[in-house]
Amino acid sequence: MAGPPRGPVAPGRFSVRRRWTLALLTALLAVGVLFSPLLGTVAIAPETVLRILLHQLSSGRLFSDPCAGAPVPPSGCPGLIEIVWDARLSEVVLAVTVGAGLGLSGGTLQGVFRNPLADPFLLGLSSGGTLGTAVVVVFRVGVGEQNLLLPLFAFVGAIATGLVILVAARSRFGSVETLLLTGVALSSFLSAVLALLLVFSPTGSLQVDFWLLGNLGALDWSEDGIVFGVVLVAGTLLVAYGRELSLLQLGSDVAQSLGVDARKVRVRLLLLTSVTTAAAVAFTGVIGFVGLVSPHVVRRIAGNDYRVVLPGAALVGAGFLLAARDLALVAFPGTLLPIGIFTSFVGAPFFAYLLFRRRRASTMGAP
Amino acid sequence: MTDPASPPLRLRALTVRYGERTALYDVDLEVPRGQFLALAGPNGSGKTTLLRAALGFLVPAAGTVELFGSDVLRLSVVERARRVAWVPQEESPRDDVPLADYVLYGRYAHLSWLQGEAPADREEAMRALAAVGLADRSGDGILSVSGGERQRAILARALVQESPLLLLDEPTSHLDIGHQLDLLTRVRELSRERGVTVVAALHDLNLAAKFSDRIVVLSRGRRVADGSPSEVLSEELLARVWGVVADLRRDPRTGAPYLLPHHLVPPASPVPGTFLGRGPVHVIGGGGAGSPYLRALAEAGYRVTAGALNLLDSDLETAESLGALTAVEVPFAPLGPEVRERLRALLTAAAAIVVAPFPVGPSNLPNLEEVRGVLGRTRLLLVRRPVGPEWDFTGGRATELLDELRRHGAREVGGVEELLEFLAGELGVNAAAPSA
Repeated sequence: MAGPPRGPVAPGRFSVRRRWTLALLTALLAVGVLFSPLLGTVAIAPETVLRILLHQLSSGRLFSDPCAGAPVPPSGCPGLIEIVWDARLSEVVLAVTVGAGLGLSGGTLQGVFRNPLADPFLLGLSSGGTLGTAVVVVFRVGVGEQNLLLPLFAFVGAIATGLVILVAARSRFGSVETLLLTGVALSSFLSAVLALLLVFSPTGSLQVDFWLLGNLGALDWSEDGIVFGVVLVAGTLLVAYGRELSLLQLGSDVAQSLGVDARKVRVRLLLLTSVTTAAAVAFTGVIGFVGLVSPHVVRRIAGNDYRVVLPGAALVGAGFLLAARDLALVAFPGTLLPIGIFTSFVGAPFFAYLLFRRRRASTMGAP
Repeated sequence: MTDPASPPLRLRALTVRYGERTALYDVDLEVPRGQFLALAGPNGSGKTTLLRAALGFLVPAAGTVELFGSDVLRLSVVERARRVAWVPQEESPRDDVPLADYVLYGRYAHLSWLQGEAPADREEAMRALAAVGLADRSGDGILSVSGGERQRAILARALVQESPLLLLDEPTSHLDIGHQLDLLTRVRELSRERGVTVVAALHDLNLAAKFSDRIVVLSRGRRVADGSPSEVLSEELLARVWGVVADLRRDPRTGAPYLLPHHLVPPASPVPGTFLGRGPVHVIGGGGAGSPYLRALAEAGYRVTAGALNLLDSDLETAESLGALTAVEVPFAPLGPEVRERLRALLTAAAAIVVAPFPVGPSNLPNLEEVRGVLGRTRLLLVRRPVGPEWDFTGGRATELLDELRRHGAREVGGVEELLEFLAGELGVNAAAPSA
């Protein structure tokens, strides 16, 4: 058919894609990543830390003796390098990766379910993943292979949860309420199974307890690599569905009339979110509220275009978790507090605020 | 892509069910290119269901929906979006985005995955916003504009979708009269200028008459009227389908018909459907004379039975298409004893019997004899026969029989409307129903 009438048109006030927002967030995060290794349970002079980082990053070409002038532990300069590089930086990278994964998952789920309160925990994805890891620990599955088995079982747990939600809600997939309630029921059920597991396995309970509050410590680069790889691949795919997610906000029918295969896109996004969440909880356990808070922060700054919201939520989530890690070290030096405590201190009041605001908004979350 | 010879929208024997409830029953419809078709009918008559089926949102229980010659369910979602655009009754966007972005969403079906919108797409969006009079509002948020502006923005979004078929579902139901006229005027202009085919579900019959080329009236999931506004709109239709008493007037300037509704059909003559359950209405016809009565009765919600008819009679075809029980004899043979017995059973079960003005010959004369047999046990309605054409081929025996029926209380009615009125009034709530 013929297009609209030709002729000059005024330039419209389209929302700028707000790339500067993403650039700014990236810059802030880079600064955070650079300076976070300065903080740790052992006191090391900042210039020594920076020298070690640059030494390692340049594969030893810069600062041939990075420990020069610093008090060196009994293990010598390699011991200091190990603390800064293998312990601190790997922890920082893990915080960034897990935070990004959780932020992305939360942003995606809020879009998929058109509900500002959606979050990996709400749907039971995190519980499913944690249950998977608990099985590995409690039943001592493949001791020595846990690096691979933990994420694998977490994937199985989270994806199985995602599939159960899909199958249970398949007959009425259009109904957002059905899905959310299925997720809530499933989440409670999985928590009950987890509790049962702990009751009968007192030996494993300590570690599982630790996961339930979340932690970043005691991991090394190979675990980082697994989480990083999965979050990078699944996260990139999630971000690529930004436009579809924006259109889904108009409702399934409208989105479909515009050409978005709403059902297919939802299923794909839910599976990708399961994978991302599983990677995030596999080694660190349940870290609450990052997925809930991060997307809202981005919306406030950059509007509701999911092509910005999703990468933005990843950046904010990464920064949020990194800040929580740094805060824990500053506020309680020398103790290893589970990081989930800090995210919850920020997240829970925010959740209450959203609930309060939601009561005033009329149609939020309606399909 | 699209077969140029195929109509934008074609429904073939479309039946849609929601569980037990049938929302559309055996609807055939073909909408030619460039037509502005208004779908009318009371709430729950199936208008929205028809549109949703056309969009491929529903899987029909039977029949097919074709868009430009292709079964809608076989088209990909993107391919559907390129053929048909939709303006829903209302949209509840969750997020506030600028109108410009909202309209730009309409380009989705023309972009591949990850392909960003080009400046040309933004220009299209701005042209469409200008076409609906919102060019200077492009930066306003969709949640902050008025309902009328949002509806126009949605129309603009449908325009940039550039689909040759546009479906509107009660697009004006949330608008005031000024915005109603404005929106429909724009739609009609776009339809004329660009050859877009429009199917709009419209509550307001006067708006439908004013703007559309053709009105299709749905009632209880069936197509009960179809034609130009002047052909379709009638006082009888409004009473029958909507249960509303109205005057039909004409716009002195344009000659377009419009209806002046007065009040509901009074409770003393309730909507015919209340008669349901008191037994069917039996129609005696033949040679096609019974068909209009069978159809009108079925549309009005009565169960109907028919016969006796011969196997080749078009009345039989009508009766069977309506799912009616019938008594059937082979052609050119007098009614056999078995058929007469079946006819007797049908007549006994009927709450009312209608004798259509059918030509009577020796082979179907027994119909009238059997009616005489149940005389006084049920309501009997004789349709007045038109003066002129010969109908009695029995040497006066049929005329005698009819006179006898008249003397014994059969009532004469002038046509379909009078028949329906009589049934609604006499056999409705107030009247003592004859035992079935």
